[in-house]
This record gives sequence, C-alpha cells and structure tokens, in this order.
Amino acid sequence: MAALNASRRRVVVTARGLVSPLGDTPGAFAAALEEGRSGLGPSALATWNGCAAVVAGEVWGFAPETYFGDRNVRPLDRTSRLAAAAAGLALAEAGLAQVESRTQPVGLVLGTQFGSLKTIAEFDRRGLTAGPNYVKPLDFANSVINAPAGQTAIWHGLVGLNSTMAGGATAGLAAIGHATDLIRGGHAEALLAGGAEELSPEAGLTYGRAGLLAAAGSSPVPFGAGRRGFALGEGAALVLLEELEGARARGASLFGEVVGHASAFDPSMGQDPWSAASALGRAVRAAFADAGLGPGDLGAVVTGGSGSLELDLAEALGLASSLEEAAEAVPATAIKGALGEAFGASGGFQALALLEILSSGRLPGIGGLGEPEPGLALSLSNRPRAVNARTVLATALGLDGHAAALILTRSDAA
Amino acid sequence: MSRRIVVTGIGMVTSVGIGRRAAWQALLAGRRGTSTVESFDTSRHPVHQGGEIKGFRPDDHLKRLVPAQIGRASQLGAAAARLALSDAGLDPEALDPARAGVAMGTTSGEPQEVERLDDALVAEDLAQAGHGFVRRYPCHLIAAHVAAEVGFAGVNAMIPTACAAGNYALAYAYDALVNDRAELMLAGGADCFSRITYTGFARLGAIAPDVCRPFDKNRQGMIPGEGAAVLVLEPLDRALARGVEPIAEVAGYGLSCDAHHMTAAHPEGEGAARAMERALRMAGLAPEDVSYVSAHGTGTPTNDRLESIAVKRVFGERSPRVPMSSIKSMLGHTMGAASAIEAAVCALAVAEDRVPPTIHFEEPDPECDVDCVPNEAREMPVAVAMNNAYAFGGNNASTVMIKWRP
Repeated sequence: MAALNASRRRVVVTARGLVSPLGDTPGAFAAALEEGRSGLGPSALATWNGCAAVVAGEVWGFAPETYFGDRNVRPLDRTSRLAAAAAGLALAEAGLAQVESRTQPVGLVLGTQFGSLKTIAEFDRRGLTAGPNYVKPLDFANSVINAPAGQTAIWHGLVGLNSTMAGGATAGLAAIGHATDLIRGGHAEALLAGGAEELSPEAGLTYGRAGLLAAAGSSPVPFGAGRRGFALGEGAALVLLEELEGARARGASLFGEVVGHASAFDPSMGQDPWSAASALGRAVRAAFADAGLGPGDLGAVVTGGSGSLELDLAEALGLASSLEEAAEAVPATAIKGALGEAFGASGGFQALALLEILSSGRLPGIGGLGEPEPGLALSLSNRPRAVNARTVLATALGLDGHAAALILTRSDAA
Repeated sequence: MSRRIVVTGIGMVTSVGIGRRAAWQALLAGRRGTSTVESFDTSRHPVHQGGEIKGFRPDDHLKRLVPAQIGRASQLGAAAARLALSDAGLDPEALDPARAGVAMGTTSGEPQEVERLDDALVAEDLAQAGHGFVRRYPCHLIAAHVAAEVGFAGVNAMIPTACAAGNYALAYAYDALVNDRAELMLAGGADCFSRITYTGFARLGAIAPDVCRPFDKNRQGMIPGEGAAVLVLEPLDRALARGVEPIAEVAGYGLSCDAHHMTAAHPEGEGAARAMERALRMAGLAPEDVSYVSAHGTGTPTNDRLESIAVKRVFGERSPRVPMSSIKSMLGHTMGAASAIEAAVCALAVAEDRVPPTIHFEEPDPECDVDCVPNEAREMPVAVAMNNAYAFGGNNASTVMIKWRP
C-alpha cells in the first residue's frame, strides 16, 4: 500500500456539521467535552411507554425550524432531520449551502445502524392494528435504511454519489473511510461523510432487554473498573471531505487530512474477546500502513470506549497490541461516556473530536473515571490534557465483530 | 495500470433454483419463481403473489452458524457465500482470513425481527418483547454472518442502499481489492420475504395481482421476492496463479443520486443515465460496446417507462436494439439481493454468450422501446454486460462485466 501513497489523491476535511447532546457547533461540542459535561439524562424518546425512564444522550430540544426555517420537514423522520441538519451546517461552513455555489456536485456517505427503527416498527404496527390499507406510504418510503441519506440528498440537492454504510458502532468511521477511498479513486470530488442515528423507544427497550445498558441511575464510565454498560445516544455528525487540490483551488478551510483508515472483522462476532481485540488491532495496523505512519507518530487516541463490559476491554487489548510501546505513552480518551453510544453518529462525533484535538492541542478526559479497569495498557485520565497532536487516531469496535480505525493529521501537513 | 478484478465464483439462492447451475439454468429456461404467499397471511391485502423461496433449507449449506440463531436474510446470504466459495474451488480454511473480506447489500436487513417485536408489542406482551432483538436485527449482521460462516476476518462492509445495494456492494468490493485492502472479497446482497416490505408495496399499489411482466404494455406492477447472491472477486493475477479460469472481469461501476424524490425516479432518467455513463467511462468503454443490459425492470408502469428513457439517453438511436431483459419477470423483486443476482447473471452472460429472457411478455409498449429478449433466452455474443439498479432514496448504481481475456 505504501507504494501507492506517493501518487494518490489526498483527502482533506473542509467543513464540519453536527447536532449532538452537547451542542450543534464544533466549539460548543469541544467545550462541553473539555469541561467534562455529560449529555446524558432521562430520555422520553428512548423510553417505551410505561417502562422506567432510559438514560440516554438525546439531542435535547432539537428544533428542526432552527435549521430548516419554514420548509416542510414532515416528510423527514427524526434520523433524517438530524442528518439533514448536520449536512446543512457543514455545507454552510463550507460556503456551499446553495446548490449554485457548488462548482462540483457534493455527495454523501452516511453511516447509520438503523436508519429509523421507529419509522419501520410503527409502520408495521399500524399495519397490524389498523390494517394494511391504513399504513402511510410516506412511512414506507422512510422505512428503508438508506432513507436518511436519500432525504438529506433531496433536502440539500446533493446530486453527487450517495451511499449508506451500516456496521453498528463502526458505521460512521466506515463511512468516512469509504468516502475517502471514493475521492482518492476519482469517483467523487466532495463528499459529506459521517453518520446519523436517532433514539427510539424500540431501541431503549431492546438494548435494555439485552442487558447492555448501564443500570438506571448510574453513569457509563468508559474503561472504568466498575462499569456496568453503556448508554444509548443519538445525533448526527458529518465532515465535508474534498480532494486537496480542488479544496485549495477554491480557497477552502483545511481542518485536517484523512491519511489512513481501515476496517477488520472478528469472526467470533464478539464472543471471544481476544479475537475481537485482534480485529481492532488489525484495523489499527492497517490504518497506519494506509497512512504510511506508525504508532510512534501518534499524538492522541479517541477510542470507542463506551462503558461496555466486553467491548472496552477488547478495544483496550487491541490498542495495546497494535500501538505496542506507544500505547502507554500516547494519551487516550473516550467520549461515549458523555454522549452515549450513538452508533452511526458515533464515528462522526469521534471524527469531530479528533479535529478539535488537532486544532486546540487539548484532549478531553473521561468524565467520572476513578479507577480504570486494572491492567489496561492505555494512558487514560479523567481530566483534560495538553497533547502534542499532529497525528490522531479514532477507533471503534462493534457488538457483532466489526472494527474500524481512522487516522487524521493536522492540516498544515497538507 | 489498475489491478484487474475478476469473478471466480457465484452462489445464488433464488426462488427458481439454489446454486449457480440450478439458478442459471432455470433463468435461461424462463421459469417463474413467484407464487401464492405462504409465509404470512395476505387475506387483508388486495394481492397475494410473492417470490418466496419455498424449498430453502439452511442446514443444507451452513457449516458453522446455527440457522435458528440467525435471521432469514443472514441464512440466505451465508448459504450463497458457501455456494460461491465452492463454485470458486476455494477452501475458506486455506485462505489468509485477515485478507479475505465481505461486502453485502440489503434493503431491509432482518425485518422479520421487527415483525416479531411488533407482534409482542401489539399483543401488549411487554415481558416477551424484544428479547434477542439487538443480536438478530441490525442489518450489518448479514455481512457479519457471511464472514463468520466462512471465517473471514478482513474488511466487512454492510451497505443498505435498498434495491441498488447489491451493485453498491460489488463496487465496494472491487475498490477493496484495487486498493489492496483485501486479496479476496465476497460481494453480494440478501433480503428475506417480509410482511413489512409486502405491506408497503401493496399500499403503494405497486404489486401485480398475477405475474410480473416488465416492459409489457399491460404490466401491472412488481412482485416482492427474496433471495441472495454472492460473487467471489479476486485480482486476476491471484486467480491465474491458482489455475482458475475467471468467469468474467469486473470492468467498472457508476453510482449516482437523483436527489429528486424518495420513491419516484427522476422523470427524465437523469440520475440513472449518469450511473450508466460513469460505469462505462470507468470501464473505458463506449455505449456501442455494450452487448447486453440487465434491466432494473421491476414491472411497475413507471419504472420501466423511465428506465427506457434513461437507456435512450445513453444508447441513443441504438437503444431499441440493445438486448435488455429483466429477470424480475421470473424472481420478482428480490430487493437488495436483486442487483447481486443480476450481476451474477451478467457475469454468466459474458462467460457463456447467453442471456436470460423477460418472461410474460405479450404486448409491446410504445413507451418502452427496448428489446427485452421476450420469453426465450437468446444465444448471442456477449462481450460487455451492464447491470442497472435503482433504489428508494434516488440511489442509482450500474456495474459492467466484460468477457475475460488474458
């Protein structure tokens, strides 16, 4: 792979957009993480009627009119609204909000786990209760998992390439990686990439049933010794990726460069933590090979640690093996204690956190982290730290064996 | 010079046959796979035909996974993967697992799991609702189960771009090989028959009451179906090194987005034409080089008319003479599996110089001025086959297979 690097097209981040439990600007998001604020709380959106309130990372007070004015948002369900809002913010930051302002078509690669589980399940229940003749055609259109990407494209006139990547907690990182390869390969010039996910009562109910969530009243603490599980989250976060020369030619801001990414899979599907760790480790090593860099170049890591009993351990083991001696030296953190596990959106949140670290040299701490799980060979802290970060890494490990890694460098490297 | 990527194995699980040979022979013979729906009660629906695979026994195919523990789309996909590897003469145990990957497409993932959840919720049986759901429902489980079944530990991608997803997965796998992210990829699509999908298309008035007759003047709609196909892709040098004759070469792909309407295609076929043109440009081919087109051809009045307009944009005056058939006339619309099965058909068409027919064709439609290979398979030279797929969300994808030559 290294031989390809000299001639290949370079991909840079030229804009960001997010709606999150911790705000809808990169600055507010970074400030909240720096201060150790939690975006979690009892969420009616995530709670099935009559059940105990589910603690989750909701996009509190999300008001579509803030982003969409008086345009009719009824055709968009919540996932689509979150995605379209984040896309609009990124396009505005890029100065490309108007279709006429674009010299190249803009496309979208969106990571999502569910699309809208609520839309799908409600459509089905209406068919069961009212009868199949009373389901709503619009709900069926939105029941496909690529509906948020399709609706966002319609909303913003994104006539460029359009795709959707699934993959649970890895979907957002996978989408950014896929978009990078599409631009490198000359299939696109400008792509929004990241992810979107909504909270739903169906998700709250079924993740609770699976015993994966932190107990009511307790906060998830990634890598904490007493962690009991994660919280669900939601939101949308997108970066605008462009080919470097094209971005320079239009005078775009350069927030960072995507220099490496990779994914891998654990065929035990999470049943064997060592096998899961191995998948994460292979993804990290392959991402470094893609970047032509090594662990010695690394300044900080934003892990996918969420408070999950099994996944946090496997991710730490995989990082320790792939970063070797750098693992204990390079400051690492996790943001899902504050945001929840927002699946498709999580990778976008992690990418935005990486960009903030590159610009500010500040790595957020892990809120509430007292004693880390013993024996983890990672440099973790509950306080923000100054980092000399020119190269930063994000990792994620899904419940079903998917692993992903993304490496960004500071834009002055561009 | 970019690496050349070839197809060396095909696995198909369809309503007309399971396995490459059985499915291909049935498609050439023009056998209909749609029939009266049995997997759920359609008595409250105005239509009753579906493309269910009634003789599928997952135990016949799966060696590692326990069928009862995974959803039906996963069963179909994993079975297709086993069949494809066997067709390629590959022992998965003999491959480097870290360099072997999977890319799968789907429309709905495992919708039967949502149906089970909803059955319990509607029955107000909250204690029973949702158990096991998160380990059975998320659509990425299809790609995960394919990989777990065959022990592949490399790249693993799930692309839920609805009814164009098989082509998207093929494109993803092609890039993974060209970029040396893997040395072998399984690429395909899987979808299972579902109450949700059937109810939705019925409500749209899109389902034909009897049979699917694409491009016919009297066509009345599509018929929801199910199925899976998986193609083994590998770099040409690797295939030749192990002494294998490729079935076909993947020459290019084109993806585009209408950004127009969630369920209706662009009225002038704009996005569909762009996908075809991009695929040809990437393949270094011109429209006149195309021997055969596997149509999206759902059999709805609108799709077939707009697809005819789109191919006219690309092929111009020649478009009525370009053979373009729709196997959805036989299988119904297998959703995310459709363009994977159709990609397999394109690979076999260039390998064997035969193309499957559009069955149930009786009366030409002046608005569909195409040669749909009516009713009888055709023996003809097929140097270049193009596979078109269009999806909800305005996702368009075309792929191009060419005859492999040294």
